[in-house]
Amino acid sequence: MKINNLSFKYEKNGDQILNNFQLEVNKQETICFVGPSGSGKSTVLRLIAGLEVPLSGEIFIAGRTVVNDQVFIPPEKRKVGMVFQDYALFPHLNVAENISFGLGKISKIDKSRKVNEMLDLINLNGFANRYPHQLSGGQQQRIALARTLAPNPRLLLLDEPFSNLDESLRDEIRKELKNIIKQIGITTILVSHDQADADFMADRKIFIYS
Amino acid sequence: MQLSDKLKKQSIGWLLISSLIIILLLIPNINILLNLFTDTSENWQHIKKYLLMDYIKNSLILIISTGLLTALIGTLLAWLIAAYEFPGRAFLSWALLLPLAIPPYIGAYTYAGLFSYTGPFQVLLRKRFGLVVNQQYFDFMTMRGAIFIYTIFLFPYVYLLAKSFLAKQSASLVEISCLLGKSATSIFFKVILPVSRGIIVAGASLVMLEVLNDYGVVKYFGIPTFSTAIFKTWFGMGDLTSAVRLAAIAMGVIFILLYLEKLLRGGRQYSYSTSQIRPLKRKKLTGGSKYFATMFSFSIFGLGFIIPVGQLLYWSYLSDGSKWGNLLEYSTGSILTGLLAATLVIIAAIIVANTVRINSGILSNLFARITMLGYSIPGAVIAVGILVFLLQVDQFISWLMQPFAIEINMFLTTSLVMLFFAYLIRFLGIGFNAVNSGYQKIGTKFFEASRTLGKSVTATFFKVDLPMIKPAVLSGFLLVFIEVMKELPLTLILRPFNFNTLATRAFEYAADEMIYRAADLSLILIFCCTIAILLVNQLRKGREDASEN
Repeated sequence: MKINNLSFKYEKNGDQILNNFQLEVNKQETICFVGPSGSGKSTVLRLIAGLEVPLSGEIFIAGRTVVNDQVFIPPEKRKVGMVFQDYALFPHLNVAENISFGLGKISKIDKSRKVNEMLDLINLNGFANRYPHQLSGGQQQRIALARTLAPNPRLLLLDEPFSNLDESLRDEIRKELKNIIKQIGITTILVSHDQADADFMADRKIFIYS
Repeated sequence: MQLSDKLKKQSIGWLLISSLIIILLLIPNINILLNLFTDTSENWQHIKKYLLMDYIKNSLILIISTGLLTALIGTLLAWLIAAYEFPGRAFLSWALLLPLAIPPYIGAYTYAGLFSYTGPFQVLLRKRFGLVVNQQYFDFMTMRGAIFIYTIFLFPYVYLLAKSFLAKQSASLVEISCLLGKSATSIFFKVILPVSRGIIVAGASLVMLEVLNDYGVVKYFGIPTFSTAIFKTWFGMGDLTSAVRLAAIAMGVIFILLYLEKLLRGGRQYSYSTSQIRPLKRKKLTGGSKYFATMFSFSIFGLGFIIPVGQLLYWSYLSDGSKWGNLLEYSTGSILTGLLAATLVIIAAIIVANTVRINSGILSNLFARITMLGYSIPGAVIAVGILVFLLQVDQFISWLMQPFAIEINMFLTTSLVMLFFAYLIRFLGIGFNAVNSGYQKIGTKFFEASRTLGKSVTATFFKVDLPMIKPAVLSGFLLVFIEVMKELPLTLILRPFNFNTLATRAFEYAADEMIYRAADLSLILIFCCTIAILLVNQLRKGREDASEN
């Protein structure tokens, strides 16, 4: 994954958030953006995912240009997985339907096999028929992770993965998350305002200041 | 960012269809404005010299008095229901919406009948008490009568908005004022009225737009206003240019009105400021004030629902029943028209709302505003615009078909297409507002999550957005259905020959002094609207409960 000269401006107030931002991430590496809120670290994630359009600059993912002056690959075609800060689990779908949401057109059997595989991975077997509102915050986060990983993205983005969790759960969940990432060996970028999270999770830290 | 860049981000199909809808909506209105520059007829000189001032004066008196009275009654009732506990409160909380089920013109002829010389009220006085009253005081068909009718049947617009605003927004303010030792009355005047000024003005301006739109009441009472004048110049004098000119002046009045509304709101947007919405705790009323609250609320409900419905039931009984065949025909026609029009409107509303949500920016803002245009402009005015526009299209079609020796004359202007087009323009704003509030409630995160999971804008819409905004879509659908069922001026002008709805037929019977025969039709109409209002209320309650969890 490579970012060249990325600049971004918010349409609403015209604040320039990023100016000639550069980054290269190696395969299977986990990096963490650290910085105060409002510094634009989440914006970088949104630009990589294709949820925002940059003012200028280029982004390459796995050797393919996803955005530059001429090209814009929409988010659904980037194969980038993103776990949102408040998880955004679809409230009208149960756990199994949430996880299989991004799987595309495959047979029912393959679908349920994949769902079970993911539930195994996150240690939530037997939760397939629950609905999001019946789950705890930690469980919701794991389901969101499973939903993101199910379609085999080439890059995993995590936006403040620990901000909505109780302090007491934090250590355990950090450990678990790290294990899962290492287990599937996916390239990961996460965003945090907390140094300790970054120290624990990341191979490399990037500091972003406004 | 350039436009082409913005388009990269989104699917262009939604934008195209929305733009088409918006353009269709604008054309008839622009048509009216363009017609201002054509030559005037002799009639126009006459109208300008002798009649125009009357139209303006009457319209203004009606909208201003009704606006003030509904603001007063609506807010007072909303405050009683939201802040106090008294006998009958739970029932009145929804019952006070029901006057909306009765179209004002139906209310008008029931009240006029009730108080006429041969009506039950005067008969009772004469027979029982031997009183013969001065007719001057009992003539309902006056300006005062019209203001009463509009107020009693339209105040729920203010009541509904103010009630939900007060119940959700005022809790901390009221508590603080209590702690500071303010009395209930001073809280109402010093705190509640000022904070809810924006929402009250919003409700009252809805009422004023409805009054300006109304044709039935003023026609029946013989009060010359813009609506009736447009009808008269057109049908009576056959003078389209003068009708268009009147329409344009009415539009001018409305723009001034909307500008004043903005001014009065003071730029303050009523908004749910935080996610922590604490419902207002209701205080138990005791002693005399308890009975006063109950009596006051009940008497408004009685005037706005029980009395007119009772009178209609009595007439229906006297009329020995109408022909069931006819009743069935008008009912199914009306209900089908309502359902079909509501479907059309809500689909267009969803498309525009989805586009507005995905594309933030100036264009979206503009679209959102334009959807309200149709609701702001009286039906008679829209009707003129549409007729002028579709006549041009019809001429174009027959010109186009000439070389093929196919004769198509007045294809659009004699079909139902015209009427449905008009409903779309007039009610798109209502559908749009409902759908848009649903979208605002869910935000964009689910949409974005679905996009990163490989679903396109359209796939996301069907799999995520639509299921999540279903309650909002359904209440928008029902609101449009109610409006279409009650609609009179558009339908009267634009319907094809021999096409009737419950509303038009009831109005014609009443206008022909066959009030008894209008009763059954009116009752069916009121029944349908009542059911729809109760459903909307239920949906709203469901959504509020859900958001409190």
